[in-house]
Amino acid sequence: MDVLTNLMGGFATCLTPYNIWMAALGAFLGTIVGILPGLGPSATMAIILPITFGMDPIPAMIMLCALYYGAMYGGSTTSILVNVPGESSSVVTAIEGYQLARQGKAGTALGLSAIGSFFAGIFGTFALAFLASSLAEYSLKFGPAEMFSLVLMGMFTIIYVGGKDVTKSLMSMAIGLGLGTVGTDIVQGEARFTYGVSELRDGIDFVILVMGTFGIAEVLESAEEYLKIVPMKVKFWDLFPSWKDTWYCRWAIMRGTLVGFFICCVPGSGPTIASFLSYGVEKSVSKYPERFGTGVMEGVAGPESSNNAAVSGAMVPMFALGIPGSGATAVLLGGLIMYGLKPGPMLFVENADFVWAVIASMFLGNVILIIMNLPMVPLFASLLRIPYGLIYPAILIVCIVGAFAVASGLFEVGLMLFFAVCGYFMKKANIPAAPMLMALLMGPMMERSLYQALNLAHGNMMVFIQRPISATLLSIIVLMSLYVGYKAIRGKDRVIQEEEE
Amino acid sequence: MKKADRIFGVIGLGLALWSYLESTRLKYMTEFTPGPGFFPFWVGVALAFLSVYLIIDSYIRKPGKNDDKKILPEKHMLYRVGFIMLMLVVVRYTMNLLGFPLTLAIFTAAILLLLEHYSVVKSVGYGIAYSAVTWFIFQYMLSMGFPKGILGI
Repeated sequence: MDVLTNLMGGFATCLTPYNIWMAALGAFLGTIVGILPGLGPSATMAIILPITFGMDPIPAMIMLCALYYGAMYGGSTTSILVNVPGESSSVVTAIEGYQLARQGKAGTALGLSAIGSFFAGIFGTFALAFLASSLAEYSLKFGPAEMFSLVLMGMFTIIYVGGKDVTKSLMSMAIGLGLGTVGTDIVQGEARFTYGVSELRDGIDFVILVMGTFGIAEVLESAEEYLKIVPMKVKFWDLFPSWKDTWYCRWAIMRGTLVGFFICCVPGSGPTIASFLSYGVEKSVSKYPERFGTGVMEGVAGPESSNNAAVSGAMVPMFALGIPGSGATAVLLGGLIMYGLKPGPMLFVENADFVWAVIASMFLGNVILIIMNLPMVPLFASLLRIPYGLIYPAILIVCIVGAFAVASGLFEVGLMLFFAVCGYFMKKANIPAAPMLMALLMGPMMERSLYQALNLAHGNMMVFIQRPISATLLSIIVLMSLYVGYKAIRGKDRVIQEEEE
Repeated sequence: MKKADRIFGVIGLGLALWSYLESTRLKYMTEFTPGPGFFPFWVGVALAFLSVYLIIDSYIRKPGKNDDKKILPEKHMLYRVGFIMLMLVVVRYTMNLLGFPLTLAIFTAAILLLLEHYSVVKSVGYGIAYSAVTWFIFQYMLSMGFPKGILGI
């Protein structure tokens, strides 16, 4: 009942005209981002983040969260209408969705996708409210030793579950940890890696890194080729699926929602993995799996529900433990730090108003999105006619403004450009940037916990295995590492799941 | 990708060495707790180990699907990316002199004219429009203190 009471309090905080406007703006931007290929939700949130500097944390976070799940709604539009996924979690939607569109059922596919997303969004937010608050309550028992082990486990889970080359992900993480050490150290106040550059004394701002490696690098990659897209035309009245179709897909929506939410509670899995898994589940439970690939409605409803529920699932470790489960939640976590909040279990205690208002706003955002998405799909689809050549200079300008806003200086703009070049070549060499970003965020947290734990234990390193929770978390890391190592040695599965495939 | 792995491995080794050298300048341990050099030292060690593994693995593993993939894109793509990066660097170094609105107008117009092959009129028009909208939102409405430059706005 506490959860419901808190949720009601959250609604009372979030239901102001300004917050509703922010949710609508975020949902609108997210839908556009989801529709336009070449710019993902993480990059957009990273670009928008510095602009929210002066804002109150609640409306700022409401807008960023709405942008995130709005992108999941929007991603299906291009997958279905042009067979070009707006973002990676909609790749699987294109398989069945585009086939349905070619059969003249684009409206049914879009409608089912919107209804599934809405159901998943609402269910996922309820589950987030209950699960995150319980988990946060439990993790209040954590001391510095447990926090150190938790952060370490979070980072390893992200790498092992994340579906990338493990060695490269670990290297990316190590570089991120190294970047996290730049600046004044917390132990003796010594300057590390600063070489007299005063702008580096406060460390490398994660916004600069994320805008470079996610924002500009992504734009550069998209700008390599001239994108030309011609979407199918859909009439307004064709956008609503029949009651029969919706009822037929009810279990697919339900399964997709459950798969998406619970899979994404594990740090490292993301909406993309969830949607592929949901597609696999639908195929395996179907009475006619051979028809998959020719335009099957469950193949749209399941994955689309799944990627929306995944957004709420990924927010469970972020809100409850302060561990980002994906690139997008890492940006949100960075936002929390930027707004002066302390991510982790104490967030539910010290900033309860904030957390519950943001969670409550997610119900509101989903309602806004279903209202916005069904009737406005033809309008959103027409955005695809704007040449990308006209869009990317505007995105780059916003990146420049964002980097400048971090410290009102051009040094940060230069640093962002350096990271952009690094990020671009990392993409080319299949080196994931997300572990680096997460390590930059969590490295200082890990160093602080290590310092505090050893200080309390008078330098006794055994403290990490003498405390049961910490020991359990470290055992999980060892077991995961042994499993991944075993798989690598056996050579059956090289643990490389090439994302671009 | 094998070549890319080797290059990344060598870069990783360089970064590891850098981190190690920086750690030697700092105290490794205090009485009870790790000192400022503790983290850079272990980051260096971990990165060195992983880099060596990546390099060795790139020589001994069987060729995979992605091993033929080139790191650098085709020439015309590289030209586009290089030009955009060059323009961004120009923005970085000319903003103090030319000011925020003029720099961004030139940046947009140059990209549209030289890269996207829009007409001069359209490129300049879009450049002015983008710059004006950005200036209005960020300088006028949000009062962000951008360099004013020769135009003084």
